[in-house]
Amino acid sequence: MSYRITETCNGCGACVKLCPVGAITGEKKNIHLIDSLLCIECGACGRICPTAAVKDSFGIVCERIKRSAWEKPQFDLKTCMPCGICIETCPVNCLAPAEPVSGRELHSHPFLKEDKRCIGCGFCASECPVRAVRMSRSFLAE
Amino acid sequence: MNRGYMGKILWVDLTVKEFREEAIPDEIYEKYLSGTGLAAWLLSERLPAGADPLGPENILAFVSGLLTGTDSLFTGRWMVAGKSPLTGGWGDANCGGNLSPAIKRCGFDGIFFTGVSEKPVYLLINHGRPELRDAGHLWGKDTAETEEYLIAEAGGHARVAAIGPAGENLSLISGICNDRGRIAARSGLGAVMGSKRLKALVLNGKKRIPVYQRAEVQRLSRQCNKWVQLQPPFISGPMAAYVGTLMRVLPTQMAMEGMVYKILLKKWGTVSMNQMSVEIGDAPVMNWKGSNVDWGIGKSLSVNPDAFKAREKVKYHCYSCPLGCGGVCATKGPYGDVHKPEYESVLALGGLCMNGDLESIFTMNEMLNRAGMDTISAGGTVAFAMECYEQGILTREDLDGLDLTWGNAAAMITLVGKMIRREGVGDLLADGSVQAARKIGKGAEAYTMHAGGQELPMHDGRNDPGFNVHYSVEATPGRHTIGAQLYYEMFQLWKRVRGLPRPPLVYHKDRKYVADEEKAVMAAACSKFMNVANGAGLCMFGLFLGAARIPTFEWLNAATGWRKAPEEYMAIGARIQTLKQNFNIKHGIDPRSFRAVDRVVGRPPQNRGANKGRAMDIEKMRSDYWHQCGWNPKTGHPQGE
Repeated sequence: MSYRITETCNGCGACVKLCPVGAITGEKKNIHLIDSLLCIECGACGRICPTAAVKDSFGIVCERIKRSAWEKPQFDLKTCMPCGICIETCPVNCLAPAEPVSGRELHSHPFLKEDKRCIGCGFCASECPVRAVRMSRSFLAE
Repeated sequence: MNRGYMGKILWVDLTVKEFREEAIPDEIYEKYLSGTGLAAWLLSERLPAGADPLGPENILAFVSGLLTGTDSLFTGRWMVAGKSPLTGGWGDANCGGNLSPAIKRCGFDGIFFTGVSEKPVYLLINHGRPELRDAGHLWGKDTAETEEYLIAEAGGHARVAAIGPAGENLSLISGICNDRGRIAARSGLGAVMGSKRLKALVLNGKKRIPVYQRAEVQRLSRQCNKWVQLQPPFISGPMAAYVGTLMRVLPTQMAMEGMVYKILLKKWGTVSMNQMSVEIGDAPVMNWKGSNVDWGIGKSLSVNPDAFKAREKVKYHCYSCPLGCGGVCATKGPYGDVHKPEYESVLALGGLCMNGDLESIFTMNEMLNRAGMDTISAGGTVAFAMECYEQGILTREDLDGLDLTWGNAAAMITLVGKMIRREGVGDLLADGSVQAARKIGKGAEAYTMHAGGQELPMHDGRNDPGFNVHYSVEATPGRHTIGAQLYYEMFQLWKRVRGLPRPPLVYHKDRKYVADEEKAVMAAACSKFMNVANGAGLCMFGLFLGAARIPTFEWLNAATGWRKAPEEYMAIGARIQTLKQNFNIKHGIDPRSFRAVDRVVGRPPQNRGANKGRAMDIEKMRSDYWHQCGWNPKTGHPQGE
């Protein structure tokens, strides 16, 4: 399964820059192409596309969302084990282990180290076995 | 279909620098799982008899586990396999860290190397695109330097496995490192990598790992995690030693509950057992001729668990591990922050050599990790040299002027450095004690504590004969990570697998030494189960929770969509065990030659200490085990398959 780019693509190249696995190719101002063998279905291309030219694996046209409104992970440290699954699964490596909190057992919990790199894919949340990661836009209110 | 595995492997021919992907049929995974099972099948099929372990024909396999990346827990182990230059037969080693998911996220269940490169190279896989790059500038660098350089070059986030100078120098006791000091150490496979002039693997992949029922795998993980997080307060480190003393003086013992060990591991890591093991009689002392009397609580106090905890800056978790038995510790030495040494390393470089100098243990552990040399075999080889020195077989002149008396920490550090660099007497010892004894002669063989050519780990089979059975019968001899009577008790397999015996809750210690059918059933069950675990990528410490608390079989079914009963998985484990045994026979090994040496099996028995008077009929135990595996009980040759 893979995302797909349709004829409405204007070749702006925004998706190429964002794709974390280098699956999108194409010349400027020409229709781009997603390599289905490389695509990991993170959806970043669909969220960034200004012409709604990306369809997801089910053939549904992806909706453009302003990047500043993309969901980002929030961590419930009381539930977190921590096992590192979220850090490893992040396609853009924007999560990292934090410094341990002094006075407690010295486990290193994950945090969003590089929030500007986060593409809001939600893999970290969907792969956390104990549901300690939640995707949220609540940071907008902060 | 989503089945937890990636369904293909990558072949890398280092001679002609070619890559080839090979699709693996579903039925192979159903027959052998992934991990070492898959490697055992491929190597059995493709590696010709008589292949030189350090020649171009040998295959070096890096494999991930079937459950790795499926959101199951404790499934971050990666394995390396090949023909061992140390034992001459099947070789594998197992390691944690973060490499295992990286293999699968590159799209492969395993990466298999053949041939020999003309010049040093490293493999880079960048989002599914493999390439071999020149590693001339990295040759000679240690594993930590290599890893840091390659991660930076790859943009800061790749996963790396590398050999250090020990592997480059073809030391037969060298391993392969990742995560700045985790090491797949045993079987001498670092030398195989060195012989291929393959310095490192750099993996940068983000592929999704397909799972049949991810939600079900996660539900099982949440249940398992509840047991892991159950952590009552526990006694202090030095006090733990006295628990061992109590266990030693009592004539009876209780079947070990793995939850107790889990609590120790979560608090201290494997170093929790440092003193307790010596007290019980589980840890060999003074090259296996000493005991708790020689290295008692006072002498071993310096390596008590709290001494390590005091230096711990942060706990270290391997991928998908909720326990976190590892740690990063601060040292005063030149290396700064280092991985916390493991129990095996502390005892091999400590009690086995009568060395109680903690700082020196940290230093040697880090030297060996950076060099990519096995701490167990290195410690065993130093202890061998110490006894040879004591016996006058090696003189001070032979040892380049080193006064290698028991416990001389400074001399040990110098000697380890020489072994890493193959300098002077270090060259003699760099291939382990058995190879050294052959060169020394003068009866030095009597002081090599090994099985099948590999130095023995820090678990004394005179305390738990189950260890001696597995040291002597496995295709990879001299390994402590497969089975023991203790492990059988903690695995609690009888709660999931029909027909397996439940050990009594309390029993007289003499019972352990009786060679009966039940012990053989237990030992064979351990072997089969660990083959399943190594196919799944599971960590043994997780399995110690007990089969009713860590859902190994349920995870496998949920991840693959299979509907196999635990007994069917055990049959897969048995099939892999037979495959590895046949591999050894194909390569000219007589299974009888793997028996652990006399001193280790209590011939003669010790005359003092925790294991005083203990001996066992290892030949009968071995024969019973072979019979349980369905093999010829006299020769250990599998019949049929």
